[in-house]
Amino acid sequence: MNEEYDAIVLGTGLKECILSGMLSVSGKKVLHIDRNKYYGGESASITPLEELFQRYGLEAPGERFGRGRDWNVDLIPKFLMANGQLVKLLIHTGVTRYLEFKSIEGSYVYKGGKIAKVPVDQKEALASDLMGMFEKRRFRNFLIYVQDFREDDPKTWKDFDPTKSNMQGLYDKFGLDKNTQDFTGHALALFRDDEYLNEPAVNTIRRIKLYSDSLARYGKSPYLYPMYGLGELPQGFARLSAIYGGTYMLDKPIDEIVLGEGGKVVGVRSGDEIAKCKQVYCDPSYVTDKVRKRGKVIRCICILDHPIASTKDALSTQIIIPQKQVGRKSDIYVSLVSSTHQVASKGWFVGMVSTTVETENPEIEIKPGLDLLEPIAQKFVTISDYLEPIDDGADSQIFISESYDATTHFETTCLDVLNIFKRGTGETFDFSKIKHELGDEEQ
Amino acid sequence: MATVRIPRQKVILCGDYGVGKSSLFRRFTNNTFVSESDRKSTLGLDHIDREYKVGDKQIKLQLWDTGGMERVASVTSSYYKFAEGAILVFALDNAASFHSLSQHLLDIVTYAENAKIFICGNKSDLEGREPEVSDEEVEAFCEQCHTLISATYKTSCKIGEGIDEMFQDISRQLVQANRSKMELHALEQKSFQIDTASEPEINEEGTSCSC
Ligand SMILES: Cc1cc2nc3c(=O)[nH]c(=O)nc-3n(C[C@H](O)[C@H](O)[C@H](O)COP(=O)(O)OP(=O)(O)OC[C@H]3O[C@@H](n4cnc5c(N)ncnc54)[C@H](O)[C@@H]3O)c2cc1C
Ligand SMILES: Nc1nc2c(ncn2[C@@H]2O[C@H](COP(=O)(O)OP(=O)(O)O)[C@@H](O)[C@H]2O)c(=O)[nH]1
Ligand SMILES: [Mg+2]
Repeated sequence: MNEEYDAIVLGTGLKECILSGMLSVSGKKVLHIDRNKYYGGESASITPLEELFQRYGLEAPGERFGRGRDWNVDLIPKFLMANGQLVKLLIHTGVTRYLEFKSIEGSYVYKGGKIAKVPVDQKEALASDLMGMFEKRRFRNFLIYVQDFREDDPKTWKDFDPTKSNMQGLYDKFGLDKNTQDFTGHALALFRDDEYLNEPAVNTIRRIKLYSDSLARYGKSPYLYPMYGLGELPQGFARLSAIYGGTYMLDKPIDEIVLGEGGKVVGVRSGDEIAKCKQVYCDPSYVTDKVRKRGKVIRCICILDHPIASTKDALSTQIIIPQKQVGRKSDIYVSLVSSTHQVASKGWFVGMVSTTVETENPEIEIKPGLDLLEPIAQKFVTISDYLEPIDDGADSQIFISESYDATTHFETTCLDVLNIFKRGTGETFDFSKIKHELGDEEQ
Repeated sequence: MATVRIPRQKVILCGDYGVGKSSLFRRFTNNTFVSESDRKSTLGLDHIDREYKVGDKQIKLQLWDTGGMERVASVTSSYYKFAEGAILVFALDNAASFHSLSQHLLDIVTYAENAKIFICGNKSDLEGREPEVSDEEVEAFCEQCHTLISATYKTSCKIGEGIDEMFQDISRQLVQANRSKMELHALEQKSFQIDTASEPEINEEGTSCSC
């Protein structure tokens, strides 16, 4: 440990592992430390099942849920958008070679106490029971507009300037009613609240395109999920970092981040060992005095022995409950994966309900989500602070990631990572730095 | 692109730091050997495919190296996932590396329960000088493990002895063990790797992306 590094990365959560990989690939000498014995931090998938029960202070479940080792339970639920940033990072870094994926079978939206499939193309829109006859035609016209829209070709904008006019304006242009706006903004564009209505329409158009381009990649739904759980993702990036020279240390408590002149970081201390470095990259838990709370997220892991009703027995699903449907300010997200992803033992399912906390009684807030999953064999509830750094790290050279938010995909995760990389190195990450023969098998 | 698919079998190298895993990997990759000075020269390449012929069957061994993670930390559990075979490597001149095989074995059965397990005593060129681990000890270990160990080998990466024979034999064993399993597996999984080649598929009506 007593060496000098360009960068020390603390915590092996997904964000830190991607950063570590990117830094090693860029030729930096990296030391990557975790206080835990395992890789993944908050983005680990917990195995065996007994470990999960222990984590929540519960008695071991015995034989009831099959073999404990067959379980890999995510603490933070997320799916990958097939055409999103994380998939781009996986492809360009070659980390995709370490992983296998499955498509999520269905994407649903909640309306009036029931769930309906999210319509994404003209045919589905016309068949959907989310809308009445005339509304369907208006929605279809809206979809065609978005499909034909090219940012670099104002002719496709059709007398509407999406860079200046807001999204409400675009909805009004097509005469879409509140319900349709609701599922378009929340289930297609994946906004968490309604602020987007007042922002330039082009943002929303981009997001709907991401959804449909993702859907076009592997069919069924725009989402992907890795076999054996999300914990495989940080491990893949850790391996990338290691083969580019990064050094890994687990089970190593960090006692101090040592500052030098002008409050600039000079090293990291564990016991009486000090590793010197020019920069530190870490998650909020390693620097509690340099982060502030911006809110809370509630997540409830649910073990089920059945698929979700009205999803055609899908073995994996995402359901979005738009805020207005249940009188809230932020959406509730429900996700389901199962033994087909090697995350549960045969016949079992893992559901997750999550949202941004708005009241003093968060467990009641997620009830509409839990109701969809009933009967639930076992629940595990976590309420965690959403933390963000108090500064950009320019002075201290300590670059801190934000906590994982309540969204069900990785787009914000990747934006944070790319942003931190830029703050830390002053450069935009150059994907071409990665050798493409990295274990190339397709001769 | 309707080529006949040659089944691919992931085989991982396990064992203490310094026993010669990367040297075996290097022999497998381009049949070279490097000594102390430039050990770290396998830049960026951490798994590679080679085809073997077993009777009238072709098989692709995909050999994986740890990437040096075992030096201070443990190897990630995802390294083991999907492995069909695992080679437990120790150095014949290093008894400690032999004694930690049981720990590595435990990791393999935990994270890659279906993998066939092989033992490889490396650095046989040094054996005469300092025979720290005897054949009897290896045999006794295999016996303790009941039927877990499929075969044992002796290799020298330095003089290039026993290596090709080992991979040839491992191929044979994997073909035998997996004949029906591989076909079943392919049917069941329906999972895929994402890569740049997987262009968006347009369905028949061409409407898959019409929003
Ligand atoms: C299979 C495998 C096994 C490994 N085993 C070990 C191990 O046992 N112990 C260990 O410490 N490390 C191991 N590594 C890590 C790997 O060797 C690291 O790349 C290495 O440690 C980097 O060391 P360095 O900082 O000395 O080299 P660097 O200074 O990064 O590079 C050495 C030379 O390679 C060039 N170079 C660097 N990056 C690239 C690139 N992306 N493309 C082309 N040229 C490049 C540089 O210009 C320089 O000339 C292993 C990696 C692999 C793939
Ligand atoms: N004499 C001898 N040395 C070997 C042999 N195989 C590997 N070595 C040396 O042992 C050291 C460790 O090898 P390496 O492949 O890096 O081990 P790894 O840590 O298991 O990947 C290197 O200095 C190699 O040159 C062998 O068969 N005979
Ligand atoms: Mg090595």
